[in-house]
Parts: sequence; structure tokens; C-alpha cells
Amino acid sequence: MDFLSLIVKRLFGIIGVVVIATFLLSCLMWLLPGDPAAVVAAGAPDAVINEMRRDLALDRGVFGYYIHWFSGLIRGDFGAYYLNGGSRPVSAVIKATLPVSIQLIVYSQIVALFFSIPLGLISAYKEGGRFDKIVSSTLFTLVSFPAFALALIMSLVFAVKLGWVDPIGYVKPSENLGEHLKLMILPVTSIAVGLTSSYTRLLRTDVIATLKEDYVTMAASKGISNSRVLWRHVFRPSSTTLLTSAALNMGGLIGGTIVIETIFVVPGMGYEIFYSIGARQVIAMQTYIALVAFAYVFFNSSVDVITNLIDPRTRERRA
Amino acid sequence: MPDISDTTIETDDAKATAADPHAKKKTRKTVGFYLASGWLGLLVLVTFLGAFLPLPRWDESSVDYLGSAPGTPGHFLGTTMDGYDMLSGLVNGARLSILFSFFSVLVGGSIGSFVGITSAYFRGKFDIVVTTIFNIMLSIPNLVLSLALLSVLAYSDPDHPTSTSRRVVVLILSLVIVIVPILGRIARSSTLQWSGREFILASKSMGTKNFTIIRKHILPNVAPAILAIGFLAIGSVIIVEGSLALLGIGIPGGASWGSMLAAGRGNIEFSPHEVYMPALCIAFTVISCNWFGDYVRLRLDKREAKI
Repeated sequence: MDFLSLIVKRLFGIIGVVVIATFLLSCLMWLLPGDPAAVVAAGAPDAVINEMRRDLALDRGVFGYYIHWFSGLIRGDFGAYYLNGGSRPVSAVIKATLPVSIQLIVYSQIVALFFSIPLGLISAYKEGGRFDKIVSSTLFTLVSFPAFALALIMSLVFAVKLGWVDPIGYVKPSENLGEHLKLMILPVTSIAVGLTSSYTRLLRTDVIATLKEDYVTMAASKGISNSRVLWRHVFRPSSTTLLTSAALNMGGLIGGTIVIETIFVVPGMGYEIFYSIGARQVIAMQTYIALVAFAYVFFNSSVDVITNLIDPRTRERRA
Repeated sequence: MPDISDTTIETDDAKATAADPHAKKKTRKTVGFYLASGWLGLLVLVTFLGAFLPLPRWDESSVDYLGSAPGTPGHFLGTTMDGYDMLSGLVNGARLSILFSFFSVLVGGSIGSFVGITSAYFRGKFDIVVTTIFNIMLSIPNLVLSLALLSVLAYSDPDHPTSTSRRVVVLILSLVIVIVPILGRIARSSTLQWSGREFILASKSMGTKNFTIIRKHILPNVAPAILAIGFLAIGSVIIVEGSLALLGIGIPGGASWGSMLAAGRGNIEFSPHEVYMPALCIAFTVISCNWFGDYVRLRLDKREAKI
């Protein structure tokens, strides 16, 4: 019962935050010179713009517009792009671009976890040793290396100078899996380097703490091999912070991929946000920002609920 | 992208090290610390003295040197494909980037700290409202938020392009808005650790005014934590500025590092130094800020452990 009320509370929290954030965005749009309709359909005849104002409820004030837009969003009407006299629903664009961004994010997470788990375990096991020192200081430098600087330097070295991969582009995995993965190498690496560093540091700290537990000494004294102790007895209880952070990053990365997708011309959500701003499609932009905010808050809250469910200790610790 | 929202988690990690009896007893000044302070010192020097250095003007192109490689006489770090001197561009960019990031973190940090400290000190309804506002602002990733603010507030009509000065003002404003909740939340949570202590209660029972308590007892204790995160925030503001420039809505015309990057991206094949030099400058600055912030934080944790 307690758990159910937590979920309900979180759900209200998510809805509240998203509603207020998007409402503030609507207010922001009111600051545009003219109004959103004039900006979106710049150059169209007055009659068309007036009709748009009526369709989008822009003539009903901030509240009227917001209620119209939000109820549309709930019904799955995500607004539209207005270009060259025609309109194109945003939902179709999202259907095409969201999977691309998710691929990018999931690959980056997999790569980051693949490298950070062994690095974190070994450097914690050899705490203070040479390996640990080298790994820790390298990662501390890399965690703050800006992803876009890394992206540009890598595309300079590996694509332009060495010619190993194409500097830009995207191929669907269903068309050509090998080419798809090859083009994904540079964008995924740019994102994954920062993630790997932060995950390794988190895991290292937790593993160092777990290694001091009595049951680990017990297991080692029973003659269980080191690698088995590390995997079975140490890694599992130490991995919660790592997984929490990985899940929290899912939401943030959707916004964070904008620059990387733009540099490598990967047609994902981030690139679409960039495009909609450049093309002054403020209505589409509002929808994208609402979705990003929703994803972010949703992941944050579900992580909270799930850790609460799996690990009862967090409940006591929070209280 | 190393989002600044990671910082809260990293603070925990530092705390774990501080509680650990095997952790280093003394905050050692590492090689990284010296390198970082050296680089930051150089930047500050260049920020103030850049105008007096015997360099070619950063915004004047010399036609004889188009895309010269680094090491060309007279153009130590080479020139861009349009003949602009790289070194003076970088010096000018340093001035702008430092000014931007420092100013917005100072202003945003002051507002955020003030709101965060007072809300944690007085609690009650005010605290609930402040926390909700911070959560709402933090629910939008900082790059997306500043993108939205810039594209609306510095909206440029094709017929009436926005002036550069307006763009600069709006850019600083949106960076300030991004910084406020980040530092505000840090200020709030570290004030909460202090506001319940006995010496605060003692001071209250002596009838000291609330704002005097905040100024004399809370602020000195909370300031190091805010300062440490402030350095990280400077780093992430530089990243946001660079990203915005790369997306084509930052400062135009190669004035800042990000804007040099954006301008040089098209020439990456023929004069790669146009891209890697500003990219490395940004990276060094961000890394230095992190080293420096980490040093401040470690010293703080050591002090905390003693109490």
C-alpha cells in the first residue's frame, strides 16, 4: 500500500512538472515578435496566417493556446511543421527519428558499461596500485573532455586524415548492418567516453566499500577464487549506484545527443530539435522539448521507484 | 556530454573517500592541480593583457596568409582559410569565453545561492515553492533550455537580423537561467546540513537576526561547497557556449572559441588547426576547471571530516 502511494505520488509529480514546464514554454513563445503563427509561417499570406491562428487557438490567449496544445499532445496530436505552404505532422517525424536516437543512446550505454565494469572492478581491487592510479587520473581527465571537442578531433583524425570511416552519415540497420555499425562508431565513442569515465568512478568507489565487508573476507578465506569473489560477491551488491546512474542518463542523453547528432549528421531527435530551431518551427520545437522533459523526469522518477522496490535498504536510508 | 547533473553523485563519491580511513590524509597538490592552475592563470592573464600583446588584430584578415600552417613567421599558430590569425583569435576567444562563463556563473550562482540558502534556512511553504521551481528548471536538459531561450529571445527575422550585442546579452541571460537551479540546489542541500547544528540554535536563542545568522554562520560554511561546484559550472557553461555556437546560434563571426570551431568546421580537411586548436582550448579549460573544483572539494571534505 505504501509502495502504491509512492507510485501515485511520483506520477503526480511527473505530470505536474511537465505541465508547468510546458506552460512556461508557451509563455516564452508569447515573447516572440508577432506571434508563433507569424514566425512559423513567415512569408505566407495574411489569410493563411489568420486561419492558422484559429486552428492553433493562438487567438485565445496564452491559456487558451496552452490548453489546446496540451490536449492535442495527450490525444497524440503533436502539432505540425509548416513549411513551403504545406504542413507535416510532427508525430511522423518523431516516428522516424526517435529510433535513431535510441539506437545511439543504447549503443553508447552498452559500450560504456562494457568498458567501465572491468575497469572499475580491477582498479578497485588493486586500489592505490599503478593500474588504479593511471586509470583514475586518465578517467578524471576524460570525464570532463567535452563530447563535441572529442567528436571533432576524432572525425579529423579517423575520418579525414586516416579515412577509416565516413565522417558523416547514417544507414538503417535493416538496410546494411555492417555499414550502420561502422557509421555509428564515431558518434557512439564521443558519447561513451564521458559515460565510461563517470561509470568507472562510481563503480570503483562502491566496490572499494564492498571489499571491506566481512562476508567478502569470509568468501575469500573459504578459498573461492578471486575472480569469482569479485563477480559473485562484490559486483552485484556494488552495482546499484552504477545502474541508477545509467538509467538517469537515459533521459538526459536524449537532450545531450543534439550536438553529436548534428556534427555527424545522424538523423535523430537531437538533430530534429536543431533543425526545428533553425527553420523557426516553434510549435514542433515546443513538442520536442516537452517530450525531452517528460523522458527526463520519467526516468528520474522510475529509477527512484524501482530502487525502492528492489533494495529495501534505500527506504530506510531515505527516511 | 558530461552533464553537470553528475556532480551531485560525484560529491557522494568524494564523501565516501573522506569517510574511508585508508583515504589520503592530506590533500596532495597533484601534477594535475599545478597544470590546471597554470592553464587557468594563463587564461586570466591573457584575458586582462590580451589587448596589449603584439598580435595581429583578430578580426582583420591578411590576404597573403590564407590557411597557413602553424609556425608561419608572423602567425605563430597559423591562420584560418580566410586569413585570420589563429593566436590572436584564440586570445580574443579566451577573453570572451572566460568573461561569459565567469560572469554567468557569478550572477547565476549568487541568485541561486541566495534563494537556495534562504529556502533551506526558513523551510516551510517558501522552500516547497523553490524546490518545485528548481525541479522544473532542471527537468529540461541545460543545452535544450538555453537553445529554447536563445531561439525565442534572440529571434532573428531574416529581414531584421538580431544585433550581436543583443545576442550576447541573451546568451548570458540564458546561461544565468541555466546556472541558477544547479547552484541553488547545491546551496540548499548544504545549508540543510548546517541549519540544524547546535551553534545555529545557540545563535538563534541569543536573539540574533535571521539574516545575520545566515551571513555570519551559514554562508562561511556553505561557501566552499558552492565554490567547488561553481568551478565545475564554469566548465559546463563553456561547453554549452561551444555547443550553441556549433549549432549556429551562439556568437557569430569567430569571436569566441565555440564560434571559431563552428567557423572552422567547414575547412577541417585543408586547415585542421582551425578545428583542433579551439577544441583543445575548450577541453583544457574545462578539464582545468574540474581539477581545480575537485581540489577545492577535497580540501572541504577533509575539513568536514575533522569536525
